[in-house]
Amino acid sequence: MKDINLVIEICGSAGEGTISAGEILSRFMSAQGYEIMSFDSYPAEIRGFGKCVAHTRISSDPIYSPGKLADVLIALNDIHSISQLSALKNKGILIYDSQPARPHEEDKSVLGWVDPGVISYGIPLTMLAQRAAGSARGRNMVGLGAIAAIFHMDKDGFTASIENRYAKKKKIVIDSNVNSFLEGFEWAGKHIEKIDSFSFEGVTMPLQKEKLIINGNQLVARAALDANLKFYAGYPITPATKIMEILSKELPGHGGTLLQTEDEIAAIGAVVGAGFGGIRAMTATSGPGFALMTEFTGLSVMAEVPAVIINSQRGGPSTGIPTKTEQSDFNAALSGGTGDCPRVVLAPTDTFSCYQATVLALYLAEKYQTLVVVLLDFFLSNSIRNIDIPEKPSESLLNANIAPLPEELENYQRYKITETGISPRAIPGTPGGIFFSTGLEHDEYGRPNYSDKGHLKMTEKRYKKYAGVLTEAPIPQISEFEGEMADIGVISWGSSAGAAREAVMLARKEGIKASSFSSMMLSPFPEKELIDFSDKCKKILVPELNYGGQFANFATHIIKRPLERLNFITGRPMASEDILEKMREM
Amino acid sequence: MPSYDHYVILGNGPAGNNAASFLRENDKDAKITIISDENIPFYYKPGLTRYITGDLSASELIVESLPNYREKNIRLRLGQIVDKIDPEQKIVFLRHKEKVHYTKLVIASGSRARVLPSMRGYAQCLKHITTYNEVLEFKDQIQAANDFFIFGGDLVGFKFIKMLGKMGKKVTLLIYPNAFWPFILTHEMQATIVSNLEKRGSEIIVGDDIHTIIEKENAYMVKTVKGMEKKVDMVFSFNGLIPTVEFAKGSGLDIDHGILVNETMQTNLPDIYACGSCAQIYNPVINSYTTSIGWPNAVVQGEVTAMNLLGDHKVIESVGRKYFDLEGVRIKTTWWEDIEESSSI
Amino acid sequence: METIKSDYLDEKLDQVRAKDFLKYRSGDLPTWCPGCGYFGIMDALYKACRELELKHEDICTVSGIGCSGRTPIFINSYGFHTLHGRSIPVATGLKLAREDLTVFAVAGDGDALGIGGGHLPHVARKNIDITFLLFDNSIYGLTKGQSSSTTPHEMKTNSHPVGNPDTPLNPIKLALAYGASFVARGYAGDPEGMKTIIKQGIQYKGFSFIQILTPCVTFDKTNRTWKNLKENVYNLTLHTQADNMETAMRAAENEPFGVGLFFQDKERLSYQDILRNLNS
Repeated sequence: MKDINLVIEICGSAGEGTISAGEILSRFMSAQGYEIMSFDSYPAEIRGFGKCVAHTRISSDPIYSPGKLADVLIALNDIHSISQLSALKNKGILIYDSQPARPHEEDKSVLGWVDPGVISYGIPLTMLAQRAAGSARGRNMVGLGAIAAIFHMDKDGFTASIENRYAKKKKIVIDSNVNSFLEGFEWAGKHIEKIDSFSFEGVTMPLQKEKLIINGNQLVARAALDANLKFYAGYPITPATKIMEILSKELPGHGGTLLQTEDEIAAIGAVVGAGFGGIRAMTATSGPGFALMTEFTGLSVMAEVPAVIINSQRGGPSTGIPTKTEQSDFNAALSGGTGDCPRVVLAPTDTFSCYQATVLALYLAEKYQTLVVVLLDFFLSNSIRNIDIPEKPSESLLNANIAPLPEELENYQRYKITETGISPRAIPGTPGGIFFSTGLEHDEYGRPNYSDKGHLKMTEKRYKKYAGVLTEAPIPQISEFEGEMADIGVISWGSSAGAAREAVMLARKEGIKASSFSSMMLSPFPEKELIDFSDKCKKILVPELNYGGQFANFATHIIKRPLERLNFITGRPMASEDILEKMREM
Repeated sequence: MPSYDHYVILGNGPAGNNAASFLRENDKDAKITIISDENIPFYYKPGLTRYITGDLSASELIVESLPNYREKNIRLRLGQIVDKIDPEQKIVFLRHKEKVHYTKLVIASGSRARVLPSMRGYAQCLKHITTYNEVLEFKDQIQAANDFFIFGGDLVGFKFIKMLGKMGKKVTLLIYPNAFWPFILTHEMQATIVSNLEKRGSEIIVGDDIHTIIEKENAYMVKTVKGMEKKVDMVFSFNGLIPTVEFAKGSGLDIDHGILVNETMQTNLPDIYACGSCAQIYNPVINSYTTSIGWPNAVVQGEVTAMNLLGDHKVIESVGRKYFDLEGVRIKTTWWEDIEESSSI
Repeated sequence: METIKSDYLDEKLDQVRAKDFLKYRSGDLPTWCPGCGYFGIMDALYKACRELELKHEDICTVSGIGCSGRTPIFINSYGFHTLHGRSIPVATGLKLAREDLTVFAVAGDGDALGIGGGHLPHVARKNIDITFLLFDNSIYGLTKGQSSSTTPHEMKTNSHPVGNPDTPLNPIKLALAYGASFVARGYAGDPEGMKTIIKQGIQYKGFSFIQILTPCVTFDKTNRTWKNLKENVYNLTLHTQADNMETAMRAAENEPFGVGLFFQDKERLSYQDILRNLNS
């Protein structure tokens, strides 16, 4: 069977149905049994005239990265699509509106900018949409119809996906969309002389289990609900807002409370307050909000109160670039704040692991009575995958607080020094468990104590938790070695890990002996595993989406050897193509 | 004074490109746009036959690569078809419904294979060697084919026959005396050519004409008027070139075969110039217009056009390579001289 | 841990033990300066809890930073000494997590109106059911005598040695303007009056804002002294319902200080009740 591996981009203006067309395409392809990864980019500004791009990778094999360049670009809007041409492969296919209402002014036609080699199919999108539904609104569906015909996609399946998408709407909406699709399908089938060689004909994917089509933000919210979250406080910020919006709908039904606060300080403050009260609480934010929350990171660690912060990274520093993806909060997550402040930091490496990371974060925060930061990024938050429905967390992950035994409540020491660093924690309301917590250094009862010995003992206690956390951390993902040694070992984290893994697979096909390493657990870090990996690699490459090489610097201290870096701050997710190119140079 | 001129050049051949380069060298601020209906950067058209044999690779054909254009800040529009020109508003209308505004327009749209009126019914069966895309389509087919039927003649045709000979292919040539249009072969010239070709094993038909061509199972049955029948793998037509000027019709430009220009390459309309094989240049010696073909002529004309656009008053002289060696016969590449000579023979 | 004991302290402890609200005291002795108004506030707090028969384990006291921040240490309840200015958000989260608890949020004037001033309008408009005690001594005590948000204009302090250039905030008017639904004022020299107010505040279902006028005996020798306060407070004789915003605003004008309940909105629902209504 031939492999399908195709990237389709739809580019239009906000309000032209770009994103919904992408969504339908993804759902259709998922229903057909393909793996999908899709990623929309849209203007930071409120709905208006900004450029929207729906990027969808479709593959008959597992997908690890979104694909850097598109094979097909459907241009719903000429002006915006012109700037999107640079993301089209030089042998790519352009679908454009061949009958604009009036001639384009100079340089305003997408066709005026295509490079030689690009195959352009002109479809009268507007005219066909008018014909199908009496308005130009269905141009997006005409476009989908056209590619369905040109690439021999399953017409009925596609139609069903459109009907599904608008199932809750009025019949006229469903009909308009379906008719526009069919109009495009028929027109292109009749008029387009196919000169590309791409086709879905004769490809049938095996039937799959029911898939979940979901993005990272949705999955974080779902995981939090499954993991017994009872309180969420937050302040709107791109790209994390969606988590709050979902939870505001879902939490009350799950017996929880959602609080929209006046700022991020209040949000994390309320989370710490709720954590003190003994329920699972979290907040989600992005760079600027995380900067404010830093005030409370120390208190959570010092007073040993569970708290979870989801930080979906965007371009920084400061307000930065709200709608671009970046991995530049590594340092802030690991060490933002003052003092010796051991906290747990997790970074999911793909959409699916957003679920695991959230469940784990709430569990670890509760059990180890500390702060857990989960680092997402704009890409993970918003990119959509079709994944197997995640298994709900086991009971042991849902009730993790180690409560004091009755005998421990006699002369109760809230901050008792233990082997694990975990002191049994009484929840307010527990008779006999009364204690006092403070952000001041304290003794085992919680009373302020500034003695040097006391400070050392309590600091050690807080650090001791790391050993336990490491035993519960997911094992690092290491691709199998071909032979004893690899020429190049690629170490990555977060959303770049997928591209790294894919790059390694591609490199092997070219005869480069390569292997990859990534760990969801960033703090504490599985140092031994990394050193073992590094010892088996001749050269080390660290690709990441920041300028200063924050993770590379961190890794250097662990493996104590020079390494190669690959840093991008283009706002686009890491591409396997870029890593591969760098590997070839090495 | 900074210039805000927008030079729009129709055609991406030697004339257009040389005009563009010269303009850029002498006018750093102007906007320069080249529009071509071909989907390939500026390439060496005379190299197409060698490309077929594999002596030249596709990348070796390219004269100017895309990055060069970016570097020179010349906007290259490839694969874009010009529908019409509006000299009044100074707009070039493109097929994909885009308006390009020029301040100065250079038409260097070249020429394409001439299909004889009698052969139009068989256009589907005929192959030409005029553009890269055409050649790309049948390049592999040529390698596989054995029997070739060629009618007409002309410079490219003869080169092609020679090449096929080298490749060990069987060639039948139906020669047309007027295949060299606008040049016309004399009987003597034709005789020399025929004998030379026959020596090399080609079969030559003289004084006959095509009657029908029938496509059958990936082969062609060619019947001549005199009743000769030949089954071949491919049929080629080489009957000279005609200027590509359809888009200019109705614009008010004076057009004969090609676009008529004076000795400074200016058309009858202000700010519109033409050069290369799409132009017919006024020759005061014969008081008539002549077309010139061939790469060197185009280069010179492009440059002269650019000079005049920049305010010079440069009169075209036919320079460069004037003669082609054609199977032992020398043929000049400019029309008026040929006419002079042929009339004196 | 070694505990230092002196005859003075023993004597003081005996006196305290003699009173039946002793059990609401923690074993730790307050570290405030002798003569501090906060002792009076604590007495009122203990008494209020006793009279309402609150269970110790069901009380949670959340504080910020400053002299008032130490309050939870001295109450026999769950206590959380948080960050400067942040007692309100933490208490908010705690109350929303644990509706069954009685939550006190304690803050000083710098804490509540300076660094944490941004939280006040929101806890008020949300009507979170916590009892907020503003220990207002109009000076920064723990950092030794700098101007706070309620320091009088032109008063000389360690941060403004030639006089405070700022105009002080009026906490009662602020609370009223922010839409707090229970607004009252107490005076550290009147533990009985304070007890009544605090009790009312605890019982009130919603955000109760209680400003407590108290001297800083160490760093304010001129303005809010025991003597001056005593001369400048009077008992509010407002309408017993105290439901008139305009009257309350007028009564909240500057000195002399009216002490008692300024305003309460008995109809208004607490945040959690509103949520229950919206989600039902």
